[in-house]
Amino acid sequence: MSGVNRKEKKYAKLMRNQPSNFTFSSADPGAGRSGMGPSEPQTDNPNYSCFTSHQGVNGDHGQQQQVGSSHQPSSYGDRQRGSHRGGFRGQRGSSRGSYRSYSQEIPKIITATNFAQARAAEINAMLKAVTHKSGSQFLQSLPPAMRRRAMSHNLKRLPRRLREIAKKEVEKIAQLKKEQSKSKSRKARRRHGNLLMEFNRRQRKNIWLETHIWHAKRFHMVKKWGYCLGTKPTTKSYRACYRAMSKQCLLQDLSYYCCLELNGTEDNLLKTLTCLSSREAGTTFASVACLSGKCQGSLVLYKADQYPEKPLGPVTFLWRPKTLSENRQLWIWAHPALKMDLLTELQLVCQCLDVPVPEPAPSECRTVTRTPVKQAKVIGSKRKLHDKAGEQVVPEKKIIGNGTRDPLETVIWTSLTTGIVIEDLTMEILRYRLIGPLSHCVMFEAIQAAGILKVSLLLEMAFCEDERFTVASKNSEGREETGLHSWWSEYCESPENVTLHNRQEGVLLLLPGIASPAEISAGTVLGLTVGDPRLNMPKNRTTAMPDPTQPKDLEKIRELCLNGVGAECAQSQIWDRNIRNIVTETKITEQELNGMRSKLLVPGTRLDLGPQESKIPILLVQQPGKMAGQEHTGWGSGWDILIPKGWGMAFWIPLIYRGARAGGLQEGAKHTQYKGLPHFPDDFPDCPAGMQHSEETEKELIAKYKKYPPAKRPNYIHHGTMTPFRCPWQRLVEDWETQNQDGGIKPTMSDQEQGLRSELQASNREAVGVHEKGAFEEISSEEKPPNLEEKMEEESESMTTLEQNTGCKNIHNPSNRDCSSKSGHVSILRNRKLLKQVSAWCRPTSSRGQQTRQYRGSAPVQMTADTVKSVICSYPRFLVWVRLSLLKKGSPVANATICIPSKEDLQRLASEPNCSGPQEPKHRDPFKQECKALRKSQKKRTLPQDSETAAGDLERKSASSFGKVLIRGLWPTQPLNVMSHCSRLTIGYVSQGDFSLTVGCGEAWGFVSLLGLLRMVLSQPAERRGLALVRSPASLQYRFAKINIEV
Amino acid sequence: MAENQPLAPASEGALDMDQVEYTLRKRLPRKLPKRKNDIYVNMKTDFKAQLARCQKMLDSGCFSEICIHGLGLAINRAINIALQLQGGSFGALQIAANTSTVELVDDLELDEGEPLTRTRNNSAIHIKVFHTLPK
Repeated sequence: MSGVNRKEKKYAKLMRNQPSNFTFSSADPGAGRSGMGPSEPQTDNPNYSCFTSHQGVNGDHGQQQQVGSSHQPSSYGDRQRGSHRGGFRGQRGSSRGSYRSYSQEIPKIITATNFAQARAAEINAMLKAVTHKSGSQFLQSLPPAMRRRAMSHNLKRLPRRLREIAKKEVEKIAQLKKEQSKSKSRKARRRHGNLLMEFNRRQRKNIWLETHIWHAKRFHMVKKWGYCLGTKPTTKSYRACYRAMSKQCLLQDLSYYCCLELNGTEDNLLKTLTCLSSREAGTTFASVACLSGKCQGSLVLYKADQYPEKPLGPVTFLWRPKTLSENRQLWIWAHPALKMDLLTELQLVCQCLDVPVPEPAPSECRTVTRTPVKQAKVIGSKRKLHDKAGEQVVPEKKIIGNGTRDPLETVIWTSLTTGIVIEDLTMEILRYRLIGPLSHCVMFEAIQAAGILKVSLLLEMAFCEDERFTVASKNSEGREETGLHSWWSEYCESPENVTLHNRQEGVLLLLPGIASPAEISAGTVLGLTVGDPRLNMPKNRTTAMPDPTQPKDLEKIRELCLNGVGAECAQSQIWDRNIRNIVTETKITEQELNGMRSKLLVPGTRLDLGPQESKIPILLVQQPGKMAGQEHTGWGSGWDILIPKGWGMAFWIPLIYRGARAGGLQEGAKHTQYKGLPHFPDDFPDCPAGMQHSEETEKELIAKYKKYPPAKRPNYIHHGTMTPFRCPWQRLVEDWETQNQDGGIKPTMSDQEQGLRSELQASNREAVGVHEKGAFEEISSEEKPPNLEEKMEEESESMTTLEQNTGCKNIHNPSNRDCSSKSGHVSILRNRKLLKQVSAWCRPTSSRGQQTRQYRGSAPVQMTADTVKSVICSYPRFLVWVRLSLLKKGSPVANATICIPSKEDLQRLASEPNCSGPQEPKHRDPFKQECKALRKSQKKRTLPQDSETAAGDLERKSASSFGKVLIRGLWPTQPLNVMSHCSRLTIGYVSQGDFSLTVGCGEAWGFVSLLGLLRMVLSQPAERRGLALVRSPASLQYRFAKINIEV
Repeated sequence: MAENQPLAPASEGALDMDQVEYTLRKRLPRKLPKRKNDIYVNMKTDFKAQLARCQKMLDSGCFSEICIHGLGLAINRAINIALQLQGGSFGALQIAANTSTVELVDDLELDEGEPLTRTRNNSAIHIKVFHTLPK
């Protein structure tokens, strides 16, 4: 049979070159076989089979005979044909059946021209197959008996007539192989220059942080926001990272945060920037403590004069302490997802030209920064790289900073009118974050203040410069004579600077006496100039611990805690671009450093570079821990270290060697979560970046959901979850608004009413069934009566008097109204005053928080129907950031619904404290039938025409009526009436939820509609205020949770 | 020990502060370096658990004495724990108490102007519980 198999293969190969019209038609063999009885076994009739092939019906036979040996016994040909039939026509029986059915349709007449044309195609194909031999066919053109294995190796073993062809073939193959084998050997690829080239190529698209390679070995990397970032360690370390945050020290590389520098006079800057934020929301750029440069501030920026409608996102900012010059420098640190929005808005506000004024300085500076290690490379590399022509190849430079940016792209924008200069400092300054109480110790051990250096001293040193500095001093060729760190010696010339440096050093030395960063005032900034941290590295990884035996200056520590660091101590040379560049350029490479180490007299001792040691200006910024709320204050406090670029790994490794554990994006998110703050961009649904993020995640989650078979994934329709993968904020807010219009602001409709309503809806759904669409239309038309907005406006106008009485001022009332009349916007309440008020209302009267009033002066507004009404009218479409802590079991997940508990639920909770919460009745799936029909129609695609068109109709109908593809278990339409879809009224959604390791129970963070919240609170008895229900999207179980609004 | 600071009387301190609105944020009390036999008592953890922890420490034989610290509201509890330990030991344990004053720092965040800090004092107790005959 092997021979037959081979023939089959060969046949298949030949058939590849057949023209498309030349097929193994089923009618033809029947035509040729007409004379014989169909039941006659074919193997018995060799002559006949030969006849059919000669008829030219089966072109394959002709080819077979030509390609193979010319003289074949007829029985051989027959066997062949039998095998063909087996291969191409399936079972014998079926083929026989086809003979029978077609035997009647014998053509009476054959037109010669047509026939000849058809055959011409076949002949062409045959000729093509014979003449054009692909691949190693030169061997196969020999009959099997003449083939030898060694022929492919040595061409001279071939018959002479075939040698020419074979030679060509072999050459062709060799060429192909050569082209393919572009990849070098592993050894070659790992060679330093090649590796660097490869790395540089890979970071052209996404920016790599300087710690990228370190992270890539230990972390799951993702490409996000144009960066390659580590999400979480590959090791199992979720809890270990949490412990590090709360008890030890966690290190995170936040260099991907973008820094924008604004330069201008203070008045101008403040004047232009005031429109971006509002006093109501807390800190502004003009806050006194921040303006002096003493501490870092954080705020949420809005589009110019759009507060509270269009936020851009949260930023932190840092003023440079006053220097001699009139201009002030301001750094705004923003998340990369927000950077472009922010930059355009800043340009708009500062009236900076889109086409920048050509400035020689930045481009020059950039070329310098682009080639920082060039000289060192040339000198340091022993292996001279030459290409074939003998020219020296310029060695690849290591990319420091932003590798994706086009060098000609501008990063500086100047305003002619205001004189403000905006500069994009992305990747120019690195930011490391240390979180945890031990971050003091880690930092103190890793960083040491630089020694004072004077020019006179340096000159002296230059004379007795010994051999080990030659490499380093060679680097400084072309620079000033004074040596490597001229900026530092110049800086030290002035006695004021020296005293300042000593004071800064004094503060640093006090730090280990303080047990936790939370004891220092929030946002303290400390400028420093430090020595090379690589020089005093421990040999092994150690854990920095506070040393209780060390003598401490308690009085000074107390002073530091009380008054913080003076504003002048926040001064640092890192603000100066030139000095940053010098510091980056003059970095001694690891290689050189190791070379010097190897020449040490006693191996393993500390390398003392003396005045040649690098001096790096840095900034230390205290990060306040949990500020909001009463519990766990100061959790997760730490320090941020700002370093000039190029020095990333030089600081990273020493910190790691002091016992800091590295964390990724996931740990960062958990950190903000446990601090009770919204995390950007997940928890900013009103910012453009947040909206985009939620869309992306929804798409991802739907794709993941679709991968599972329907039985292995939750049917969200049954669970009464309309949007399991995102939070329909806008619908929710609109629903509450209309509800408010309809029902007035009187305490909630009674529970019976609620029940009735939900029942009614359920029955509606059941009765309507497939005609759901109509019902939806009705609801939607009900929902938006045309006079709605007018009505609201009237009401809010009538409320203005009330507002004044209650002291709840609303300056932006007109803008509010404008916004709410525009459809499609949600805002988040960031007015601190109002938040405090709402927060007080949500607390039960008996709790401790109520007793301690957060602020005095104006008496807190009592919660009455009137005050609530006024708030509601001025803030109709607002969401409030809340933290939910679950009373008993359960840990909610993202997109869980937050609902109002009914009176029975509260009573039940009071009577039996262990009850876990009510259950949602299972919902009916109105789309089930359609889904089934759709699936059936998809299956029956192959059936006759009439049924197919019907199915197509159905599909089209469903597509048009729902605007979306039906996925089983997912609500196909845009959600309508999200508020009252379930048995309990929905007031909000959870944006993140988890088991909280700080509190030890399930916690969730999310937004609730202000209207819904106030209504819920109003209806609840005073001692049980702020109790809500939470239900995860794939569960029917409601859980009790306590709503906390922390300001 | 961190969370148990009692709430300062509202009228204390600045009278002029009543004029302006501010947010009061309490900083953590100063943390002292901790030896292995130091136990800081708080009001959040279950009393029984804290007692058991002390008992276990004493029974383990590693320490001949332990120090129980309580601040503010937790003073009561610290005393309670120490007495319970002593009572349950049939005279094998003795206690010695010290009191002290701890300075606490509050931040006053004003809506405008520079943030203020103020200090207030709170009492603390340090009870040494030790074996009469050291093992």
